[in-house]
Amino acid sequence: MGRGRQLAILLGSIVLLLCLVPLAASDYHVSLVLDVLMWVALTESWIILSGYTGYISLGHSAFYGLGAYLMAMTVTSLPYGLVVILAGLLSAAFAFAIGLPFLRIRGPYFVILTLGLTELTKYVFVNMEIKLGGTVGRVIMNAPDLVILYYSILAITVVATVTAYFAKHSRFGTALLSIKEDEDAANALGVNTSMYKLLAFGLSAAFPGMIGAVLALRRSYIDPYTVFSPMVSFQVIVMASLGGISGIEGAMLGAVILTLVSEALWAQYPYHYMIILGVVMIISVKFMPQGLFHPVEQWLLRRARSKQ
Amino acid sequence: MDLTVIIQILSIGLTIGALYALIAVGLNLIYGTMRLLNIAHGELIMMGAYLTYSLFTGMGVSPLLSIFAVMLLSLLFGLVICAGIFLPLVKKSSSVGGLESSSLLVFFGISIILTNVACLVWSADIRGYSYLTGMVSVAGVSIMYNKVVAFGIALFVCVGCYLLLQKTMLGKAVRALIQDREAARLVGINTSVIYFFSFGTGFAMAGLAGCLLSMFYEITPFIGMPYTIVAFIVVVLGGLGNLFGSLIGGFLLGLFEAVGVSVTSPGYRPILSYAVFMLVILLRPEGIFTKRKRV
Repeated sequence: MGRGRQLAILLGSIVLLLCLVPLAASDYHVSLVLDVLMWVALTESWIILSGYTGYISLGHSAFYGLGAYLMAMTVTSLPYGLVVILAGLLSAAFAFAIGLPFLRIRGPYFVILTLGLTELTKYVFVNMEIKLGGTVGRVIMNAPDLVILYYSILAITVVATVTAYFAKHSRFGTALLSIKEDEDAANALGVNTSMYKLLAFGLSAAFPGMIGAVLALRRSYIDPYTVFSPMVSFQVIVMASLGGISGIEGAMLGAVILTLVSEALWAQYPYHYMIILGVVMIISVKFMPQGLFHPVEQWLLRRARSKQ
Repeated sequence: MDLTVIIQILSIGLTIGALYALIAVGLNLIYGTMRLLNIAHGELIMMGAYLTYSLFTGMGVSPLLSIFAVMLLSLLFGLVICAGIFLPLVKKSSSVGGLESSSLLVFFGISIILTNVACLVWSADIRGYSYLTGMVSVAGVSIMYNKVVAFGIALFVCVGCYLLLQKTMLGKAVRALIQDREAARLVGINTSVIYFFSFGTGFAMAGLAGCLLSMFYEITPFIGMPYTIVAFIVVVLGGLGNLFGSLIGGFLLGLFEAVGVSVTSPGYRPILSYAVFMLVILLRPEGIFTKRKRV
């Protein structure tokens, strides 16, 4: 049985189990699993661009915030499911619109450019809100039931993971990898790198948009400072690097571990949790730069080889 | 426009500009020599501000005296971090790209550690103190003493740093390393010494900036990130690795913000700076003071 098929069966059973969660678990556990899933989706979507091509983006917060605001502004007038899909489309469209000039920029410039993008959109929204309503924040009303939000996030996470998987194991993925290895050489060989990068950016941006839209409804009040917080991008990067940025398994592992650690510590010791997060980052860069999943992957490879 | 208004804008722009330059030169020194993006730079500033605050309110030490203590502590912190984490990282890494992303993570780790240590030690409440709040009158415009002092010290240190880099052998070695790390090593420059120098100096300058701005700005554990971003904007304006560019870029951004705020409103200040920043990156990523060369 091929590795792809094994993985499909494993993930399929996990998804089935996850579908059953709201039937058996308490509200607290449903929201816990929802949090884990949300971070998995954000991390999986982030690696589509940043993990595969090496263009480290801090723009996830901008797309997340965009989705959250679209929901906050339209939740009373449009159906919930439609807004979630619109949020994904809007974020992807925004990524496409800025992608061409942005993705010409490489290395550290790209990193700080995307950080600047998040801050710029944040302050555009701050000023827009002051112009429109006089106040900065918005109160969320008419939020659907927790179970509905749970299943939406589950669906988004599954689609994000599957997308991230096929974005790697396909012609598209090979092109993205060639950009990471040597973009100029890939270009010289006739790979249309600009197009592939743009596609990856758009795909990668759609998911934080949708997640942001759903997650806005988990709060009673949102403002630009919280939904456009660069912490979203940073936390995604920590999760991806902890698990490994080159595939869906590593991203998932990192997101699950860190969300559970955060859940255990956040409520009582928020500052301690953040300090631990910082220490984990430094240690993971210093001692396991390829992520936690790397040794597991090596072991699987060795086992497959010894079987032959 | 009225002359007093012009002087008013100039004084605001130059004071904030000198601080921006101080912050940006320190950041750029570390990037230039080691190719490390220090996103914890703002948190170092924040720590410098808190230390000054505690020394002043707790022990009555004048902020102008604290400068030395804060700079020394920041310098030591920089040396320890450099020896413990970054020197091995730089030595080990084969590609510049890999080093950039891993250094980004480590610095982010440091920044959240510092922010949250500050939350634990000083709590998240807004802190501040008053010092040298008397007014000095320049051509009919009143400026607070502490701003004049901060301007003078920031300018002095920036120019001093610039002269050090231009006129001394050490400075020459730093510039050589910024130009080409391999070639610098080949001609016998001890790169480790330069790494320690630029790390220590960069951290000390950030601490100093925190010390100075604590005299007139409020302090919270979260003031770091905006300063980091400001430093990036200035560094990009002047060019990554171009220290003279950062010096001029700091003043340019300070003046630009002062003029921009006076024609629009304070709410637009971040939008204006970020817009300029992104335009510069998109149109002229090598900075406006760096000669264009083929990448």
